[in-house]
Amino acid sequence: MPSDANASGAKLPKHSKGVRPQFFNDPTSDKLLAMVMALAGEVSVIRDRNDTLERLIDAKGLIEKSEIESYRPSKEVIAERDAWRQEYLSHILRIVDLDAEDMGRNDVSKEWQEVMDSV
Amino acid sequence: MQPQDHEQFAHTLLPETTADEFSRQEFVKSYKLHLASQVSPNTKVVYDKQVRPAFEKEHGRAPKNRHEIRKAMNGNNHYQTWSSLQRTSQEMMWKSCQGPVERQLDTLIAESNKKISAKSAGGTLKLDPELEIPRYLTAVDIHCQPGGYHTEVAKDDVASGAIFERAVYIYAMGQLGPMNDDIGGSTIEYLKSTRPDFAPKRILELGCSTGNSIVPYKDAYPDAELYAVDVAAPMLRYAHARCESLGVPVHLSQQNAEHMDFEDGSFDLIVSHILIHETSTTAFRNIMKETHRLLTPGGVAVHVETPAYKGMDAYDAFILDWDTYNNNEPFWSKSHEIDPPSAAKEAGFDPEKTFEAMAPSAYEAAKAKRTNVFQGGDFGGGGFWYLYGFEK
Repeated sequence: MPSDANASGAKLPKHSKGVRPQFFNDPTSDKLLAMVMALAGEVSVIRDRNDTLERLIDAKGLIEKSEIESYRPSKEVIAERDAWRQEYLSHILRIVDLDAEDMGRNDVSKEWQEVMDSV
Repeated sequence: MQPQDHEQFAHTLLPETTADEFSRQEFVKSYKLHLASQVSPNTKVVYDKQVRPAFEKEHGRAPKNRHEIRKAMNGNNHYQTWSSLQRTSQEMMWKSCQGPVERQLDTLIAESNKKISAKSAGGTLKLDPELEIPRYLTAVDIHCQPGGYHTEVAKDDVASGAIFERAVYIYAMGQLGPMNDDIGGSTIEYLKSTRPDFAPKRILELGCSTGNSIVPYKDAYPDAELYAVDVAAPMLRYAHARCESLGVPVHLSQQNAEHMDFEDGSFDLIVSHILIHETSTTAFRNIMKETHRLLTPGGVAVHVETPAYKGMDAYDAFILDWDTYNNNEPFWSKSHEIDPPSAAKEAGFDPEKTFEAMAPSAYEAAKAKRTNVFQGGDFGGGGFWYLYGFEK
C-alpha cells in the first residue's frame, strides 16, 4: 500500500460550488438513491477484494474453502474491522454530510443565475 | 507499483491507488457505462412511448425543441431517476479520484517539483500569481469538480491536475485512450487528411489542463514548437511535470486565452480541445479576436467540442444538453448554438474559409465499447468529435 504523504494535512474541497439539482419531488429520494449507489460501490470494492483473496488462496493451494467459513475473528481483528466500518460509513453517508457543509455557505443560487445570465 | 487501470498509461505523476481505491474507481467506471448503455436507452423509450404522446395530446403537436422536451421530461420519474443516478455517478467519480490524491499530495508535489527543476525534455513553465481567474470558473465548479481547476490547497499544488487526469479517464470510460489524448489525436488526423502539406512551426493550445491533448502534436509535427496556456496554476504544474515525464517539450504559461502576451502572428496553428463550452459568450468573442491576432497569414485555428445543436434531433439535443442544468456547465447550452461563420466575420476571419466537420475518433480500440450516442455523462461515446475552425 502506498504510504500516506500529506504531512501538512491539506484538505481538498469535497463539494462542488453550484446548485445541486433536486430530481425527485421529495429531496429525500435523491439522498436515498445516492446512498444506495455508494453502498453498491462499496459492496463492489469488497467483492473485488474477496475475489482477489480467493484467487490467491486457490493459486497457492494454501487453505480449504471451508476454513473461511469456520474462521472466528479475534479481539484485535474486531477492533480493526470496527475502525474500517467507520470509514466505510463515511462513504455511504457522504450525501448527508453535504447538508452540514452547505449551512456555512452563502447562497450560491444568485451567483449561478448571474453566471447563466452573463455567459 | 500499485495496481493501476492496465489501460491507462501510468506516467510518474499519476497517483498510486490502494486496491480498494482502485476498485472504487473501477466501480464508478462500470456504473457510468451501465447508465450510458443500459439505462439511458430506456429513457428514450419512456420519452417515445409516454412523455411525447402525453405532450402531443395536451398541445396538439410534438415538442418544438429541447427546452420543451426538458420541461416535459422533468416530471417523469424514469428521467428523474436516470438524472439522479447520473449526477451521483459524477460526484462519486470526483470523490474516488480525490482520495488517493489527497493522501499522496506531498509526494505528488515533490515529484512535480523534481520534474520542473530537472527540465529534462526542455519545456518551460511560467506562472502568474496575479492572473485573475475568470468569473465563469470561480462562480461554479465546472462539471462538479470540487474546487474547480484553479483552487490550491498547498504550496506548489498539483492536486486538481492529478485528480482531473484520472477523472477524465473514468468519465470517458477509457474511450479517450491510455493517454487521454483522443481529442488531440482525432484533431491531428483531421488536419493531416484535409491539409497534408500543412507544417506548422509554432502551435498553441488554449486551455490545456493536464496537457493530455497537446502531447500527440509532438509526434504529428516533430519540427513544431509547442505552447499551451491555462488559467489554473495546479493544472499547469501538473501538465509541465507530465509533459517532461513523457519527454515532450511544451512551453506552458498561466494566461487567459482571451488576452495573451504573445506577439501578433506568433502561431501557425491554434487549437482548443473542449475548452469553448467552459467559457462564456464574451470570452468566446475575445478568444476569437485574440486567435485572429496571434495567427500568421494562412494560419489555422481549430476548436473541438461535442456536436452543435443546429440540425440535431430535438431529443438528442435535449439529452446532450443535460450537463448544462445538472452538471455545472452554465455555458454548455449556448456554446452548442455557436455559428462559426458569424463568429468568423465578427473576429475578422473570412467566413468563406470557415470549416466545420465531424472528425472520427482516432482511438479505434474503444470502438466496440462505444454507445455511438452523444449524451449527458458520455461525451466520449459518440465516436466522433465536432470541430470548427478558421483560416487567416
